[in-house]
Amino acid sequence: MTPKSSSNAPSYTITCRMNHEAAALERLCQVVRIRGFRIAKMAVESVLEGADQTLNIALTIQGVRPVAMLQSQLEKLHTVAEVKLAAPVLTHGASRIA
Amino acid sequence: MNGAQHILEAFHRHNIQTVFGYPGGCIMPLYDALVDDVRVEHVLCRHEQGCALAADGYARASGRLGVCIATSGPGATNLITGVANAHRDSIPMLVITGQVPSGLIGTDAFQEIDVLGMTLGIVKHSYLVESADELPIILEEALELAQSGRPGPVWIDIPKDVLLAETAVAQINTSAQPKTACPDLTSATALLRAARKPLLYSGGGISLAHAEDSFREFAECSALPAVVTLKGIGNPGKHSTHNLGMLGMHGSRAANRAVDECDLMLVIGARLDDRATGKLDGFAPNARLIHIDADAAEINKLRHAELAVRGDLNTILGELTRGLRETSLEINDWRKQCQTWRATGGFQAADNEEPLAPITGPAFIRQLSRIAPDDTIIACDVGQHQMWVAQHYEFDHPRHHLTSGGLGTMGFGLPAAIGAQFANRQSTVINVTGDGSFMMNAQELATVRRYNLPLKLIIMDNQCLGMVRQQQELFYNNRESQIDLDDNPDFVAMARAFDIPALKIERTDQVRRGIETILAFNGPMLLHVAIAREENVWPIVKPGGSNKDMINEPRRPAADKKEKVA
Repeated sequence: MTPKSSSNAPSYTITCRMNHEAAALERLCQVVRIRGFRIAKMAVESVLEGADQTLNIALTIQGVRPVAMLQSQLEKLHTVAEVKLAAPVLTHGASRIA
Repeated sequence: MNGAQHILEAFHRHNIQTVFGYPGGCIMPLYDALVDDVRVEHVLCRHEQGCALAADGYARASGRLGVCIATSGPGATNLITGVANAHRDSIPMLVITGQVPSGLIGTDAFQEIDVLGMTLGIVKHSYLVESADELPIILEEALELAQSGRPGPVWIDIPKDVLLAETAVAQINTSAQPKTACPDLTSATALLRAARKPLLYSGGGISLAHAEDSFREFAECSALPAVVTLKGIGNPGKHSTHNLGMLGMHGSRAANRAVDECDLMLVIGARLDDRATGKLDGFAPNARLIHIDADAAEINKLRHAELAVRGDLNTILGELTRGLRETSLEINDWRKQCQTWRATGGFQAADNEEPLAPITGPAFIRQLSRIAPDDTIIACDVGQHQMWVAQHYEFDHPRHHLTSGGLGTMGFGLPAAIGAQFANRQSTVINVTGDGSFMMNAQELATVRRYNLPLKLIIMDNQCLGMVRQQQELFYNNRESQIDLDDNPDFVAMARAFDIPALKIERTDQVRRGIETILAFNGPMLLHVAIAREENVWPIVKPGGSNKDMINEPRRPAADKKEKVA
């Protein structure tokens, strides 16, 4: 069960760039929810990049789980080109990546 | 060429020869195109869930892509459990559904349902095709996506008008993916060398990466004590002397003890699932962790990894083996300790010597393991029998053990066995099931008969939902609730109604002959095995509990329960 995100849970800002395909926003929002976060604010802009329609999304989210986990889950989405945390937060000791 | 024909062209291009499906209104153009196609074998199951699970079993047993097809509305919704099953176990699958014509989408048309919306959480990716021109490109992308990286199901929902629309033959670039460079493993090797009690922990990711041989070589070369998850069973082979078996809720005491005591855990192709780890706070409390996986999102998800390595497991395992080949690890004391635990804390099931005694689940599975050919594929369902197979059947390869690990789907076994038999026509395929699970997809007996598949069905019948009953007994003060199945049909008569021969056994002295009879029979055959209602799976960790608090109590006398009922 997704933990409830109380209003005093930590807040993060994420920006995301993804292809403007059918259900793109639903897909993004579903991952945010199931991974334990609540959307407090959302701004979406559709732009033309070359021949492709792209969505630029700014999300303010709240949740008690490590936000880096959400970031990595969003990055897995096939249509997501980039996910940035406005203020990166290290919730674990950082792993060395080989 | 219309949209439907483009789909078949994509199948040909990718050497997809077997698909599982069920026709209906909006997918009819594809079924019309199939009439003229002799290169794709379409297997007609009797329920769309059976199609999806058969495609799943086909993929697990073969290592190739599974394909399932259904129509819009209920056809698509019936697929959902099977696709979710594939998603949870990262099985490569292509799902194709017809959708109502584009102009009718959103009008509540007959057999219209928002497939894209309702399946977002159970797919690696999905598409609603909006024009015929984009279909060939989407097909190519979907086929690549389903099988690359961490595999998974990809769903393409195609409106009927798109299937019928003529479109030009597109130029498809099918260039092979470049081989990725191996990450630097110096740190991993150094950590392994520094550890005094290192433990190898592997899961289903080994097979998903087709890395069974590399893993076996690494396990032999390193001689690391090893534990496996449910989906890792079969690695690194039944003759490995360092394998302590499955860990977790129904794992061996030896495996859980080694996890508890190790000082370094090398996790390869596993996601540290809660059924394996138990309560995370108490899991491997003394261990540093190296996590090697194809999926970056699994790193640090549940347990901090001191070192994370992401990439192709075949390449990484080869490099690790080279790194250890020159100088072996100096962990003999640890190896000896693990051997002692293995000798005393493995799965124990005394063979019953009393010929008239009732059949017990573990003893039956041990006998089956001894008698069945080495390349036998066992497709389990979900419940007690699933755990007895995991504990007591000696698998030599993970593709011989098909089990619904993540979703735990009752009804998986029979259609998965059908898929496995299509993937391995010459192999012995056995569906080991329970009386509860069997009834969830029993309609697929008709598929077995239709294609005269020689697969064998074994129903371990305890006249109840045994795993639920066991947990109610142990953790809910023995308050049994809705688990009685003592009004099961006569399974032998039921099989015969599908023109499948069957026999029933009830006593220990009938076990060997029963197994030998079904294995020797040239065609499908069902063995109905009556087992005691009160049999439990041991050991067990209380859900949410710590693995080191495993419970292993002798089962209560069967008579107790009978007296209470009376």
